[in-house]
Amino acid sequence: MKTVRFSVYRFDPSSDKKERYATYEVPYKTGMTVLDGLLYIKERLDHTLAIRYSCRMGICGSCGMTVNGLPRLACYTQVKEVGWSLKVEPLRNHPHVRDLVTNFDEFFKKHKSVKPWLVRTDSREQESPTSQYLQSDAELEKYIQFSYCISCGLCYSACPVVSSLPEFPGPQALALLYRYLADSRDQSRSERLKIVDEAVGIWRCHFAGSCSQVCPKGVDPALAIQLLRREMMRG
Amino acid sequence: MREKNVMLLHYLSGVGILIFGGIHLFTVFFTRPLGETVWETTLLFEGHQFAILEVYRNMLLASSLWFLLLFTTFHGLNGLRVILIELFPNRAVRSATRYVLLFLGFALMVYGTRTIVIAHMIR
Repeated sequence: MKTVRFSVYRFDPSSDKKERYATYEVPYKTGMTVLDGLLYIKERLDHTLAIRYSCRMGICGSCGMTVNGLPRLACYTQVKEVGWSLKVEPLRNHPHVRDLVTNFDEFFKKHKSVKPWLVRTDSREQESPTSQYLQSDAELEKYIQFSYCISCGLCYSACPVVSSLPEFPGPQALALLYRYLADSRDQSRSERLKIVDEAVGIWRCHFAGSCSQVCPKGVDPALAIQLLRREMMRG
Repeated sequence: MREKNVMLLHYLSGVGILIFGGIHLFTVFFTRPLGETVWETTLLFEGHQFAILEVYRNMLLASSLWFLLLFTTFHGLNGLRVILIELFPNRAVRSATRYVLLFLGFALMVYGTRTIVIAHMIR
């Protein structure tokens, strides 16, 4: 039977002084994903392995990890796509908790800082709307791709600016900011633009484009950042 | 000043450097204030300062040099600020850097303006 070699990052801060890589041989099955392999390891070979996952179908965004050097969703990555020898590590730019589990507190703090919700000047109407807010196809087209974001943190992990400048909001937060800015129902344009118009804000993006490269949902945060810069220049 | 305004000035000063740097290079390589081009006279090692001074004596060219000084100072120091922000991600360092660079820019402008004015007035 064909086997896949998993070399998995292991580190438990409560007992280990240094990180190590444990190697496991997992029997291959057609359609096997990286998450399937890790769950096989956890169930049959080493139950101490810590991983985070939930939906197993690329919707929840919980199982982000670095597979053979690239941030990927483990449930969305077929083993045969990446090869028969896999090096699995936690996501970069997120603090490590244990083994493949990372801490998303800072990521969600930045996510929340861009106010990822619709803001209306008529707050009473917003809380108890009297009618629907209809949008044309063209209005929807402006932001629809950015609303597909599942907050998996892969773009944040791939961003070279976040690794050198931890204060940088990151591609996910900036793309989400643009998503709400471009929404015709939102009424807080100037407040939103001010949020990231800082010394360590949107202007520090180097446009490496790695965020767009790794997004499992086809969102293009690099495009959102460029569009957001244009909106800023327009005022 | 908001970061977007600083960056807008950064882009505009970049365009300014292209325009006024182009005028400067054109002046040095193609104008002939004393028979030879300024560049040719600098190769002679004799009397080249007179050809260069001719450039400064011309009010329009002297002004263009001042604008080149202004744009390169702003663009260069702001570029340095951006690099330092990324090298030292620390608020205190960032704040100190801003004042040091502001002072440096002011000093460069004063010294450069003084040089252009003196060269313009030499007869």
